This record gives sequence, C-alpha cells and structure tokens, in this order.
Amino acid sequence: MSVVPMKRITVAAMKRDRKAVLEYLQVLGAVQISIRKKEDDVFTKTDMSKSQQLFLRNRDKAEDALAVLKRFAPEKKGILSSLEGRRELSVEEAREKIGTCSDTIHRCEEILRTEKEYADLVSGIPKMEDQKKALEPWMKFDLPMDLGETRACTVFTGTLQGEYTLETLYTQVKTLSNVETLEGEIISSDATQTCIFLVCEKKDQAAVKEALRRMNFASPPVANTNPAERMRELDEEIAAASGQSEEKLEKIRSYAGDREDIRFASDYYTMRAEKYGALSQLLQSRRVFFLEGFIPEACAQDVAQGLQNRFECAVEVRNPGKKEKPPVLLKNNGFSAPLEGVTESYSLPGKKEIDPTFLSSLFYYILFGIMLSDAGYGILLFLGTGILLLRFRNRMEPGMKKTMRMFFFCGIATTFWGFMFGSFFGDAVAVIGKTFLGKGEDFGLKPLWFAPLDEPMRMLTFCFIIALIHMFVGLGAKAYMQIRDKKYLDMVYDVLLWYVLLISCIVFLLTVPTMAEMLSVNPLSTSLKTPMMVLMIISAVGIILTGGRESKNWVKRILKGLYALYGISGWLSDVLSYSRLLALGLATGVIAQVFNSMGSMGGKSIPGVLMFIAVFLVGNVLNLAINALGAYVHTNRLTYVEFFGKFYDGGGKKFCPFAANTKYYKFKEEM
Amino acid sequence: MSFGLFFALTGAALAAATSGLGSARGVGIAGQAAAGSCTDNPDLFSKVLILQLLPGTQGIYGLLIAFICLSQIGLLGGGADPNMSLTTGLMYLAACLPVIIVEPISAINQGRTSVASIAMVTKKQETFGKSMIFPAMVETYAILALLISILAIFGVSGM
Repeated sequence: MSVVPMKRITVAAMKRDRKAVLEYLQVLGAVQISIRKKEDDVFTKTDMSKSQQLFLRNRDKAEDALAVLKRFAPEKKGILSSLEGRRELSVEEAREKIGTCSDTIHRCEEILRTEKEYADLVSGIPKMEDQKKALEPWMKFDLPMDLGETRACTVFTGTLQGEYTLETLYTQVKTLSNVETLEGEIISSDATQTCIFLVCEKKDQAAVKEALRRMNFASPPVANTNPAERMRELDEEIAAASGQSEEKLEKIRSYAGDREDIRFASDYYTMRAEKYGALSQLLQSRRVFFLEGFIPEACAQDVAQGLQNRFECAVEVRNPGKKEKPPVLLKNNGFSAPLEGVTESYSLPGKKEIDPTFLSSLFYYILFGIMLSDAGYGILLFLGTGILLLRFRNRMEPGMKKTMRMFFFCGIATTFWGFMFGSFFGDAVAVIGKTFLGKGEDFGLKPLWFAPLDEPMRMLTFCFIIALIHMFVGLGAKAYMQIRDKKYLDMVYDVLLWYVLLISCIVFLLTVPTMAEMLSVNPLSTSLKTPMMVLMIISAVGIILTGGRESKNWVKRILKGLYALYGISGWLSDVLSYSRLLALGLATGVIAQVFNSMGSMGGKSIPGVLMFIAVFLVGNVLNLAINALGAYVHTNRLTYVEFFGKFYDGGGKKFCPFAANTKYYKFKEEM
Repeated sequence: MSFGLFFALTGAALAAATSGLGSARGVGIAGQAAAGSCTDNPDLFSKVLILQLLPGTQGIYGLLIAFICLSQIGLLGGGADPNMSLTTGLMYLAACLPVIIVEPISAINQGRTSVASIAMVTKKQETFGKSMIFPAMVETYAILALLISILAIFGVSGM
C-alpha cells in the first residue's frame, strides 16, 4: 500500500572480516550500499576493478560455453520451463561446489577451444569443395599443372574464356603473335571456358604470352601435381576434416553433463564480481573498514543484530537525513502488488509522494475488463494464468509471478464485463445455436446489463462516468497529499475549486434537454441552472485568481490564472479519451462475430462443423492476442496519462540492494 | 434500383481498405526497426513485438466500421434494401469518412512513433513502459474518428 520506509545503516568492522561481511550482506540482499563519506587520510578506497574484470571474464567464458552447449547439445525442456525460476541452493551445498569452479572454467575454455577448432574445420570444407569443382575440367590432363618449360620449349597450361577448338586456338594465337610453331591440346571446352595446353619454342615465349594475355588467358587453379592426384588428395582432406569435426562435436557433447556446474560457475563469478564491485566502494583504514547504505526499516534491526552476532563490528541504524533521497521500494497487498511493475514503468514515487499502485489497481482491472469485455477470453485468461500460477507456485520468479497475477485479475474482470455485455467468444452461442442446433433468431447469451453494440450511446455515457470517477479519484489523491503536508489553501485552490467547477459544469449540461437526450439520461430540473451558473462563475474566478499564485506580479498572475482555467479543455479531452473503452470493447466483440459468421458459412454438415471449429479456434486465438495487447496498452495509457496526470509525478530511484543477481541459482541464508 | 446501396457499400469497403493499407504500412515500418533491434538483442523480441503491433489497431477499427456498416445496411445476413435512397447511401458514406481519412494517416504516424520507441527500448530496456505510451498517444485520434463514425452510422440507420 505504500512506499517502504528506509533507514540508513552504518557498519564499521574489522578489515579482515570485510569479505565475510559482504558475503553475508550479499546473500541477504537487503542493503543498498551508498557511501557518502569522502576519502581522507585514514580512510581510503581500494580499487578492485582488476579482480572484478577477471571474474567477469570467467563469467563470460561460462556463458559462452553454455551457449555452445545449447547449440550442439540442446537440452530437452518443456515450453513452460521458462516459468520455472532459479533453483534454490543452501549455503552448504553452494560451498561444496565453489571449490570446483576454477576447474569448471578450465572445462569451459576447453569447450570454447574445441568449438573454435570445429568451426575452422567446418569452414575449410567448402573451400576444398570449390577447389574440386575448379579441377573437374582438368581431369583428362595427366601432367603436373605447373609444368612451366622443358629444355627447348615453354608450356602454357590454363584457361581461356569462351569456347575454342584446336584450330580456332591456333588461328587466333598465330594472328596475334605471328608465331608459326605451336603444339597444343584442348583438355576440355564448354561455352564459358576452355582449358588448354599449349607448347611453343622458347624463343617465341614472349610473343605467345602476350597473345594469350590479350585472349584473357588465366592460370590453372592448382599446381605441382597432376589433377587426378590432387583430386584424390582433396577427397581425402575433406573426409578427414568432416571426420575430425564430428569428433570435435562429440567432444563438445561429452561436456553436456557439466552444464549444471558451468551454470553454477557463471553465477559464482557474477557474485564475486559484484562483491568486488562493492569492495571497491568501501572506505578502508589499516585495520577497519566502513560501509553505509539504505535498508528497509522492517529488516534493519534483524540485519544489525545478525551482523553483530557474527562479526566484531559496530552497527548504527538511523533515519535518513532531510536532504537525502532514499531509494524506493514498494510494498502492496496481493491484489495491487501485480501492478507495481506498471507504476515502476512510469516512474517510482518521488520524495513525499504516495505510492499510486493501490489506487490504480482499483481501476486497472476494471478498465482492462471493459476493453477486452468477452467472457470467453476472460475465462481463458484467468484459467490459463491460474493454472500456471498453481503449477509453478514455488519456483516462479517474483517478476513473472506478478505479471501472471496481473493477467489473472484482468481475466476475472474481463469475464465479469463479458457477461454484463453478453459476449462469449463474440456471439458464439447464438451462431452455434442457429447454425447447428436449429434454434431461433432470439437464441443466444443475453447480456446481464446491456449490449454495447445495440446501445452505443449508453455505453459511451457509461465510459464517461467511469472517466469522471477515475479522474476525480486521481484529483482526490492530490488533495490527500496536500492535506497530509498541511497545505490546506493549496488544496482549496488546486482541488476543491476544480471539483466545484467540473461538477457544476456537468450538472449544468445535464439540465439541457438535448445534451441529456444524447447521453440517454433524463434531463435534470432546469431550476438547477441558475445555482450551477453561479457556482461555475465563482469557481472559475477563483481559479483565475489563484491559478498563478506563485507570481507576485498581478498582471502575470491573472494571465497565468486564465491559462490554468484553460485546463478545462484538458479535462474535456481526457474524458473523451475514455471513449477507447467503447471502441476497443466493440472491436473485440465485432471481430469475434466476424470470425464466427465466417466459420458458420459451411452450414449444418460434418465439413461445416469442422470448418467452424478450425475458423473458430484460429480466429479467436488471434482476436484474443491482438485485443489483449490493445487492452493492456490502453489501460496503461489511461493510467499514465489521464489518472497519474492528475496527481503523480514520480522521480524516485529504485531500491537496488547489494545482492546475488544470479541467473540460475539462488542462495538462502537465515538471518 | 438506385445508387444508394452502392454508396453505402463504398463507404464500408473504403473504411476497411484505407485503414488496412495504413496499418499495413505502419506495422511494416515498425517491423523493420523491430527486426533490426532483435538482431543484436534477441531478448527484446517480446517487447519490440508489442511496439510493432501498436499501429495494427487502426486496421481493426476500419474492419469494425466496415462490419457495422454492412450489418446496418443489411448486406450481412440478408435484408439489404436494393432501393435504398441515394441520400441514405451517401449519408452512410459520409459516416464512414472519419475512419476512411484518419485511420491510415494515424496508423502510418503511429508506425513512425513506434520506430522511435523501438530505438528507445533498444538503448534502455527499462524504458519500455514509457516507450509504449508515445505510440498510444497517436492512436487517440484514430479512436476519436472511430467513435464519430460509429455514432454517425447508428444515427443514420436510426433515421
């Protein structure tokens, strides 16, 4: 229901105990270290970032090794396994495992090395395949391919672009070089390239070379052995490489059993890195170290006692100073706590602000329910999240649990409004009854209240009423804070005048028959017109006079006051903004109807029923997904903009205790 | 037979068509940014997916109006009046206009805002709550247009 009150804790203990003290605090996870004292001649900070870096590197190695194992030896896990939180480990079990950590890191290095070797081997194979391909046209050639010259002759082996026969080759070379004596062979030829073997006398070497150059002659792909030999070699190399890479894979897979150890090592080094990060912050003299931080009031005494029982130390717990800004931790009942994340996404309460989570929870689920407003979807939501919550009740991480519980409550609200507005998977009941059971036109789920699609104006009026209640409660929260801080006059100016102005405006509007008719309510008696008019004028004048009261200059003050009064247009647009409740609610129902009527087109027959089931399933799952997303986003928007806008600024910093921020295990220690 | 029904149908068809076009474009540009963000940080997938989907609602609003319009003129489930007067038909078309005009523009701009929000989440994951609100602001006008179209269609059919 509130922001947890924070205390400041100061610990001075023997330097030799510093790691033990930090380990104890880390497992407790209750203190946010924040040292305000400056370094002086006696107390200095020690830079431990080198060791911290080393631990972080070890953690990275463990994580990389886990990624390799995940790739080559994936674990068999259910889809829901991500809901299972970290495994719990007692301090004793953890201690046993710690001794093996450096050994585990060696194994991680081995895994990473093997993976690199494997990658090199595998990447070498396509290269060799390319070489084989390039060799294929040369298979008929039975001399070493780099045979450059004999005693009297020069040999050219290589490829020319395009197709040549021996005659065309001779003719072209002879025309380009005026050399008469040529001997050669076409080894292979196709439309793109011709492999040639050409011999000339040594004295003609330069001329022939020039001629060939102009014909785009290129050297052969491989040298020094004959092609058939080379081909055999390549085949052997490829076989060897794939054999070896298979071995490497086997080796990597053989480490799969170490996965748990590696996870532990990753967590262990994360914790050590964090501990060393904290060590760097400590003020240390020759024998003593000094630590300061914030701690929730509820556990301050226990932690202080625990420290004093275990270590030689002096612990002091006091209230934070006036200028200090304690970090914010929220604590709410089971109904509101799931929405702490929503509050945190906006901003945590700043100094002197109330925690808005409880107030917003009073409306959040209702607003979500009106936007999704389908009993079928609501039942799916709360049954689904309810079953998951029950199944993983002991192991789910707190964050996930909160999200699940939020959708659980949203599901209940959705079911409620679904029955109120008579929507169960859209008009599924009516469609099934009409198409397959031969029921009449008026068969179907009757709304307990009214169907928004039949009476949209009534629904719109209802949305506006919700809007006013929601925002008036927000304004009320502002009044509460001002009364608490004894700013009674501010409360009158900022809240009371607005209440009077808004309510008198609304009552005045309701006395106008056309307006009342539009909103489908009965017009109020016209005798209310004059008193309302008076109230409106009084409160408006009041707002003009006080809206800019921080300015001393009267001209400025009145101008600012006029601007403050202009804020009434903001109220108008805020109220209209709640029409999204109607729009999104109709969207859910109508889209479900579209799918249902599409599905029922097959008529009353076996294929018709099958088609209905298929369309119904796909369509409704899709509709649920899209509209649940829309309802979530727009409930947040109404909470953030329209509701929080009335009273809440935020600006608090989150309470981040020095703790074991591990990924796979969590550790328990009694205080 | 008069042209009334034709114009009413045109209104419904255009509402679905332009909104769908706008949403397709909006979700498309947001999707490109989302895919880029995911390459570096696959953990962000669920968050950027939500941001990508935000401009998709306009298409749904268009569909909603098309559906309501079709059912009011009786083209769904029978009972359409082939002799609907030209005036009534044009009035249905006019009722669809807010959606026809506003939805596509709102969807495309919401897509652009989503792109910026995706960049925001990519840099700082914890800003997700805030980043969702910026695109949701753009949607307000789509909802207002939808509201007027709904009211207008029911108004015309109630005459």
